[in-house]
Order: sequence, then C-alpha cells, then structure tokens
Amino acid sequence: MSGFVSCLGLGKTYESGSGSVEALRSIDLECGAGAFVCLLGLSGCGKSTLLQIVAGLEAPTTGSVLIGGRELDGPSPLTSVVFQDHGLFPWMTVRKNVAFNMKAAGVSAAEREARAAGLLAMTGLDGFVDRYPHELSGGMRQRVGIARALTTRPKALLMDEPFGALDAQTRGHLQEELLRIWESQRTTVLFVTHSIDEAVFLADRIVVFSPRPGRISAVVDVDLPRPRDPEGAGFMALSKELRHKLVPDLHGAPLG
Amino acid sequence: METKRVLSLLPLLALLAAWQVASWAQVYPPVLLPSPGRVAMAFVVDYHDVLVNALASVTRVIVGVSIAFVVAVPAGMLIGRYRVLDMLADWSIQIFRSVPPIALIPMALLFFGIGDKPAIVLIFLAAVWPLLINTIFGVRGIERTLIKVARVARASEWLIFRDIILPAAMPAVFTGLRLGIGGGWLTVVTAEMIAVKSGLGYMILNAQLTFRSELIVAGIVVIGAIGLLADQGIRALRAYVCRWQEGLTGAAE
Repeated sequence: MSGFVSCLGLGKTYESGSGSVEALRSIDLECGAGAFVCLLGLSGCGKSTLLQIVAGLEAPTTGSVLIGGRELDGPSPLTSVVFQDHGLFPWMTVRKNVAFNMKAAGVSAAEREARAAGLLAMTGLDGFVDRYPHELSGGMRQRVGIARALTTRPKALLMDEPFGALDAQTRGHLQEELLRIWESQRTTVLFVTHSIDEAVFLADRIVVFSPRPGRISAVVDVDLPRPRDPEGAGFMALSKELRHKLVPDLHGAPLG
Repeated sequence: METKRVLSLLPLLALLAAWQVASWAQVYPPVLLPSPGRVAMAFVVDYHDVLVNALASVTRVIVGVSIAFVVAVPAGMLIGRYRVLDMLADWSIQIFRSVPPIALIPMALLFFGIGDKPAIVLIFLAAVWPLLINTIFGVRGIERTLIKVARVARASEWLIFRDIILPAAMPAVFTGLRLGIGGGWLTVVTAEMIAVKSGLGYMILNAQLTFRSELIVAGIVVIGAIGLLADQGIRALRAYVCRWQEGLTGAAE
C-alpha cells in the first residue's frame, strides 16, 4: 500500500559556522489516507523537523516527500498545519483568524463565511467569533487553530505538539474532540508529540524516533478499540512497551 | 483617570506659582521676565500673530511628517522583510540618522532658499529616521510562527504585507510616529528661526529683537501645549488602531 504522505530516504543536515548537525537520517515513512499517525520522541529527535519538511516549510537535504503521489515543492494545498503555540494573529478576531487560510487560498467571501460558521460551531467557538485571541484560554486558542486549519478542507492535517502547552484536563478534552473531528472529516493526521499516553490514545500507528541523528527506531501499529481507556490493560501494556523503546535514549539524550 | 489628570497638572501649577513669585520678587527686571499676567495679556493682544504663526508651524510639521510617514513605513516594511535590503540599508541608516537636522540647515538654505521648502525638508529629515528604524524593528519582531502560518496557507506576498506585517508592525510604527512628530516639532522651531519668515520660531526670534519678552514666553507656552496635544492625540489614535493589544502589554497607560 502506498501512503498518502510518503517520505523516501529523507535526510536533513544543518550547516553552520561551527560545523554541521545531522537532524534527520534516512527517514522512510508511509502514512495511509485517513490514518492517524503519531511521531513520538524526546526533544531534539527531529520529529518536529520532519513535520516542518512535510509542511513544505523546510527543504530536505536528501530524499523526497510525496503527498497524494506528487513530489513536494513548498507548502502543499492538500495539507494544513496546527502549531504548538497556535499561531493566531493577535490583531484579528476569531472570525478573521479562521478565515485567513481561506482568504490566502482565494476562497470567495460568501464561501468563507459559510465554511467558517460550520467549523466554528463544530469546535464550540460560535459564541466567541468577535473575541481577540488574548481574550481566550489556551484551549480555546488551539480550537481556533484547528478550525482554521480545517477551513481549506485539507487531505492531511499536520500537528506539531498542538496540546503541549495545555494543562492536563484541557488536553484530554481536546484530544477527544480531535478524534471526533478526525472521524467526521476522515483526514489523514500526522501528529507530533513527546507524550506516550497521548500517542497511544490517539494513533493508529506510532512512529518512534531516537535522537542524534534523528531517525525512526520503531513503528508500532495500535489496534486497541476506540474509544480507548487509558486505565485499560491493553493501553497500559502498550504504554509500557513504548516507554522501553524510548528508554535507551534517555541516557545522554539532550533534554529540553 | 481623574487622579492622573490632577497629578499631571500639579507640577505645572507649581511652576506657574514659582514664576509668579519670581516676577513679584523681581528676580529679573520685568523687561526680561514678564509676569504670567502679562503673558496672558499677550495672548489677547497678539492672538492673531500667535494663531497665524502657530498654524504655519503646525502645517509644516504635518506636511513634513506625513511625507516621512509615507516614505518610511513602506520602506521600513520592505527592509524589515527582505534581508538583502537590510544589508544594503543598514550602514546608511545608521550614518544619516546620526546627523542632527539642524546641522543640515545651511545646506537646505543653499538648495532651497528661504521659505517653506527648507523647513519641510528639515522636518522630513527629523521624522523619517525614527519612523524608518521603528518600522524595521516592528517588522523584525514578528513572531516567526505567524509567518509560517502564512507560508503554509500559501498566502501571497501582498497578503502577508497587508494582513500580517503591517498590523504586526503598527505598535512600533506608532512609537516611531511619536518620536518623529517630537523631532519634527523641535526642528520646525529651530528652522523657522533661520530659514523662514513665519511660524512660532520666527515669532519668538522676532519678539526678542523687539524686546517683547511676554511674546517670547507666549510662544514657548504654545509650542509646549501643541507638543502635549500632539502626543496625546497620537496616543489616543494608537490605542484605537492597536486595540487588539489591550491587556497584552504590561505598561499601565
């Protein structure tokens, strides 16, 4: 099976005055259409770099990325990105923030209005359309980020630790909501996280990264039935297994 | 807010009282140091002179700063966004902004003669650098994620400038505008003492030549008052344009 998002022999090396740093080495990754794939790893293992490359924000040093069978050359109209620090424009109201990607894509004003209304309702933001981002809680802001990413009807949603800055409770709510949205939209999701529990709760497939150079150390398919219970035996067993896969990296891994 | 007004007025009232006392005590003879009352009278007697000259000065500053704004804000946005332009402009900006506009008065007179033109050019030069530098600074300070958001949304360069770079730079542009108007206002008074035959600077210098010290002080009062009004106006405008910033910045205004 060929994936909707494919990485073929991907490598990324940063050159600087003091030498070069290999951030990613020979990454091969297949991400099937409609699949929820988590990229799991500790800080500095290159998982975010990989997402940036798939988003078209950075060019790989070697190898290539295919999205929908076409080689990537800059940001693709088939993907949308949700950033960790939400990336909302502070001078735009929620309504305008959500409309921005559509404006950039040349969607007509009437169509923008209609799509935004639908997504704002779906993400529970309908009462907040005229607020500015600083008037919202962290969880609300990220809902706006997700709604905005969905407005262009992407085939793949790229999420870079989107819930990393949230408190545990808000995080849990948003994870459940994300699954609900994913099930209704049937988009492919590529989700970067350093949380094992988050990965096990969300993913069909977990890709484990290890650092220096960043590379894939394991790929684990998750066949636990949904909705998943973090207290369940299968969940706990898989978490434990993943912890062991990450542990060798704990020694000497650059944290933070 | 009310307390703030009262507190702001307090030192000014104290100054007024000290001045009244000094003129009663005749620290300087009345010919040199007029009493507040005589200055107030000057506003009545010479109101026409004061008004016409104040208007002349204000108009020059508005024209000079407006031209500076129209030039510096777009230029600053481009320099802030494109590295090549920044490298091209950096040294030149640092050199030219260090030259006080006053030092250019002789040059301006040679090029433009006596009149409005040299004054406006000097005001432009006083205002353009703070506006340019602050705009560049504002553009550079944009959160990098926001530019990434625009890139992955495949926004055109035009949309990035209009919807992201311009609003993001706005608070810094206003800082530049405040400094620019302040610099322009300082410059206009000096320029009018040398390069033009109207305006508050000209009025003050002329009053000195005719021993009308109360008109000198009246001129100074007007200069200060207009400076305060302009600054308050810009602050209010900034609060409106950048209302999305409310609660974001720590400064208590």
